[in-house]
Formats: sequence, structure tokens, C-alpha cells
Amino acid sequence: MSDETRGGAGTREAAPEELSCEESLALVYEYLDGELPQDWNDAVRRHVEKCRLCYPYFDFERMFLDYVHEAGQGTARASPELERRIRDLISGESEA
Amino acid sequence: MTNGMNQASESGDDRRRDFESEALPHLDALYGLALRLTAGDEARSEDLVQDAVLKAWRSWDRFAIGTNCRAWLMTILRNTFINQYRRDSSRPHPVDFDEISEGPGAGRLYDADPEGRVFDRLVNEHVVSAIQELPDEFRVPIVLADIEGLGYQEVAYTLGIPVGTVKSRLFRGRKRLQTRLHRFAEEMGYLP
Repeated sequence: MSDETRGGAGTREAAPEELSCEESLALVYEYLDGELPQDWNDAVRRHVEKCRLCYPYFDFERMFLDYVHEAGQGTARASPELERRIRDLISGESEA
Repeated sequence: MTNGMNQASESGDDRRRDFESEALPHLDALYGLALRLTAGDEARSEDLVQDAVLKAWRSWDRFAIGTNCRAWLMTILRNTFINQYRRDSSRPHPVDFDEISEGPGAGRLYDADPEGRVFDRLVNEHVVSAIQELPDEFRVPIVLADIEGLGYQEVAYTLGIPVGTVKSRLFRGRKRLQTRLHRFAEEMGYLP
């Protein structure tokens, strides 16, 4: 796990007690994606909760990710022809 | 007669009926995922769904009833897509996507609308088309992570790229999406 590109808990040094805005902003997505090791996650949370500059930005990015997740699901329906074709292929294969 | 996990002693008809009743209800979900992965290519998405369901049918004996059939099918479809995608993209691409900067437009949506009110006003079609407009290199990780909910490691494993690349593609892709949504919002007069 020494390969830096693997990321995750094994590769980062222990989180400092205090993070700067810059350090927190650099971790915004890893934090919101739940990809940070616990100590870094806690350090970012401590900073963001008390920082009036970072708090609204993190909140905005969280809304953005929620929006992409919800809206991106789409409402597409498979056509009846596709279903019929698949059923035909399956019965063709079961008889073979 | 198979001795797999799945109702080894069933007749062929029962086996087929089981498969159809477990798997076919997920066709819409599979088709939706295929559309997202192919940037809305309907014919290619139908082929992808068909290939994935047939693969699932051929390995139905290895599927354990009671486990999550939808997740199993989605994984098969994802892998089917990725295999084609890797084959198609094995030739070197003229653009190195990891070198592209997002430019001065990035971050403007937050500056224009820090409270994110625009997310209540844009309709789903806006984000769907903004995602479709992304180059594959950004779109596929975003679909896998942000819509399908895969973790960084899973995305990296699925795409055969390092976790650091997943992070930077997600970052750049998300900034591009925000830039595009910003433009939609401006066009629609949605910005505060």
C-alpha cells in the first residue's frame, strides 16, 4: 500500500489537529464522497463547521452532488421490442 | 444436469421462468445505465442490455437466489460496456485528458449562486444532457461514482486506472458539469 495512487487510509500521514481553508478545499470531494480516512474526515469536518467561508462552499458542493445523483438517474424505459427480442433469444438458447 | 447453486434439478422451463421473473423487471434500470454510459446512444444501449442479459442468462446457475439480482445485472452490464470501451479506446487518444485544465469558467456557478437555488430550478434533462456532453474520460467515472454510487477503488478497478486518476477525472468532470449547468441556468434566466 505504499503506492500513493492507491489513496486511502494506509497512505496518508496522520491528520493535523487544525486544517487551513486551502487544505480543506483540496479535500472537498474526497470528504463529501466519504473517501477520507477517519482522522482526516474529522479534521475537515472540524474546520468546515467553524469556517464561514468553507461551510457554504461545502454545502453547495454537497447540493450539487445530490442533484447530479438524483437527476442523473433519468427515467428511460426499455422498449417492448427489446424485451421481446431478449425473451426470444433466451428461449432460443434454452431449446438449443 | 448442472450442480450449480441455483436450483440444479429444475426443468429448463422452470429455470427460464425463474430467470425471466428475476431479471427482466430490471430492464429499465439496465437500459438507463446503458444510456448514461453511452452518452444517450439508444441503439448501442439496446445492444448492451441484450448482451448483458444474455451473459447473465448463461451464468444463471452461478447466481445465488436471494442475493441482489439488480446489482448483479448492473455489474455485468458495466463490465460489458467497459470491455468494449477499452477495446475501442486502445488506440492512443490525441488529447491527454489529465493535462486539460478546466479554465477560468470553473467555479463560476458557486460564485453566481452560492446557495445552489439553481438545483431546484434546472430540470433533470439539463443534467442528463450536460453529462452526455462530457468526453468519455470524464463521463464514465462520473456515471459510475456519482450516479451509480461506486467508491473510488471500485471505479479504479472497473476502469483499470489508478485511484489518483479517478480523483482527478471526477474533479475535472464535476467542474465541467458545473460550468455547463451555469450556462444552462444563464440561458434560462435562473440565476439569482
